[in-house]
Amino acid sequence: MKEFFAYAVMALPDLLQGTVVTLQLTAGALVIGLAIGLPLSLLRVYGPKLIQPFCTAYLTVFRGTPLLVQLFVVYYGLPEIGLSFSRMAAAFITLGCNSGAYQCEYFRGAIQAVSRDQMKAARAIGMSRFQGIRHIILPQALRLVIPAWSNELIAMVKYTAIVFLIAVPDLMNKAKILSSQNFAPIQTYVLVALIYLVLVGFLSLVLHGIQRKLAVPGLDAGMDGR
Amino acid sequence: MKDETMTRPVLRIENLCKSFGTTPVVTDVSFDVHPSEVIVIIGSSGTGKSTLLQCLNLLHLPTSGKIFLEDQEITAPGVNQDRVRRQMGMVFQEFNLFNHLTVLGNVTVGMTRVLGMPVKDAEKKAMNELERVGMADHRHKYPAQLSGGQKQRVGIARALGMSPKVMLFDEPTSALDPELTGEVLAVMQKLAAEGMTMIIVSHEMGFAREAADRVIFMENGRIEEQGPPDRMFTRPESERTRKFLSIITTGKAEPPSGSLGQDTL
Repeated sequence: MKEFFAYAVMALPDLLQGTVVTLQLTAGALVIGLAIGLPLSLLRVYGPKLIQPFCTAYLTVFRGTPLLVQLFVVYYGLPEIGLSFSRMAAAFITLGCNSGAYQCEYFRGAIQAVSRDQMKAARAIGMSRFQGIRHIILPQALRLVIPAWSNELIAMVKYTAIVFLIAVPDLMNKAKILSSQNFAPIQTYVLVALIYLVLVGFLSLVLHGIQRKLAVPGLDAGMDGR
Repeated sequence: MKDETMTRPVLRIENLCKSFGTTPVVTDVSFDVHPSEVIVIIGSSGTGKSTLLQCLNLLHLPTSGKIFLEDQEITAPGVNQDRVRRQMGMVFQEFNLFNHLTVLGNVTVGMTRVLGMPVKDAEKKAMNELERVGMADHRHKYPAQLSGGQKQRVGIARALGMSPKVMLFDEPTSALDPELTGEVLAVMQKLAAEGMTMIIVSHEMGFAREAADRVIFMENGRIEEQGPPDRMFTRPESERTRKFLSIITTGKAEPPSGSLGQDTL
C-alpha cells in the first residue's frame, strides 16, 4: 500500500495534466454536441418533412458506427481529401459530432414528452410557434432532459479515453506512457480508474444539484416525493 | 344591449365547414355573436362543438366559410393568425396551464411575451385578473399544486389577461370533479354579468339556463336549433333537441324499442 501511495505521488502531476486535457475534451465535445443536438432535435420535431432524411442520415451515421472508426476517419481519412486537422481538433470534431447525434435524440424525447396541449395553449394566447417553443416548450423540455443529459456527460468523460489512439495527451495517454516507463500497469491504471471515478462522481453531483435547483413542483417527476 | 339589430356583431360566422381528411366535422355553420352575448353550445359528444370553437380562433383552420372578428375577415389569406388569437381568450377542458410557470407567471407570460407589456404592468394586471377569479392568494403556486377548479380559474385569468374581445370556453368543467364545477361556473357567471362576450361549449344545462342569452344545439356538425334558453329548454322545436335534452335532464336515454333482455344486464 505504501508503495502504491509513493507511486501515486510520483505519477499524479503527469496524470493530472492529462486529466485537464480529458476535461477540456469532455467540455468541448458536450458544447459542440449541444450546439448540434438541440437545433437538430427542433428540426426533427418541428422542421419540414423535406429535411428529415438529412437529419436521419446524420443520426444513423454517428450512432451506427463505432466512435473509434469515426475518429480514425476524421484524423487519418479526411486528410486524403485535403481536410487535415490537428490531433486536438480531430478529437473535438469527432466527439462533438458524435455527442450531437445522441444529444439530439435526448432533446427530441424531452420535447415530445411535453404535452402537445402546452403548445396549443401557447398559440391560443397569441404566441407564434417560435415563441411557443422558446417560452413554453423548451423551458419544460430542458428540465426533463437533465437526467438523460447527465448520462451523456458521464459517458463522454469516459469516451474521451479513446483519443489516446491518435496520441492526444489526455489522461489515458499519460497513463500509457507512465505505465510503460515504470513497468507499473496495475498501479497506474488503478489510479487512472480512480481519477475517472472521482470526475464522474463529482460531475453527477453537480448535475443532480442543478436538476434539484431547477425542479418545478409536479413537473419534474423524478425529484419530488420519490 | 341584447337588441341584435342595433349592435354590430363581435364575431360573425358564415357557412363554416371543417373536415379532417374526408370526414366532415362541422358543416355549414353560420351565426353572429353580439357584444356581451353569452352563447352556450350544447349537443352530444362528437358533434363538432369543440372543433367549431377551435375554428373560431383559428387553432383549426376552417376548410371553407368565413369568420369575421368585428370588421376583419380573419379567414382571409394573409391574415396574421397570432394577432387574431391574442384577441380571443380560450379556456380548455384540460386547463393546459403552463406547468413550469407559477400562477402569476401563467397569467403574465402572454402579456409580456406577446403584447410586450413591461413586467411590472403585466403583474399588476395579472393580479387584477387573479382577484377576479379568486386566485390572487395562490399566485406563487405551481399548477401541480392546485386543484382542478383552481387550475381552471387560473386558465380563465390567463385568457382574461390578454383583454380579449370574446372568450371561448371548451367544456370548461368537464374534467372537474362534480364538487369543483361550482367555483368555475360561478366565475363564468360573474364574467357574463360583467358583460363579457362568451361562447361556451358545455354540458352544464343549469348554467346554460341561467347565464346564456342563446343556446345553440348542434348535431352531426350542424346547428340543429338555436334560441333563448327558456324556449330551448321548455319548447324545443326540433325532435332531436327534445330527445337530447330529455336524456341530459333525466339522466337516462329513452328505452330502445323492445325491452332490455335479462341477458344484457
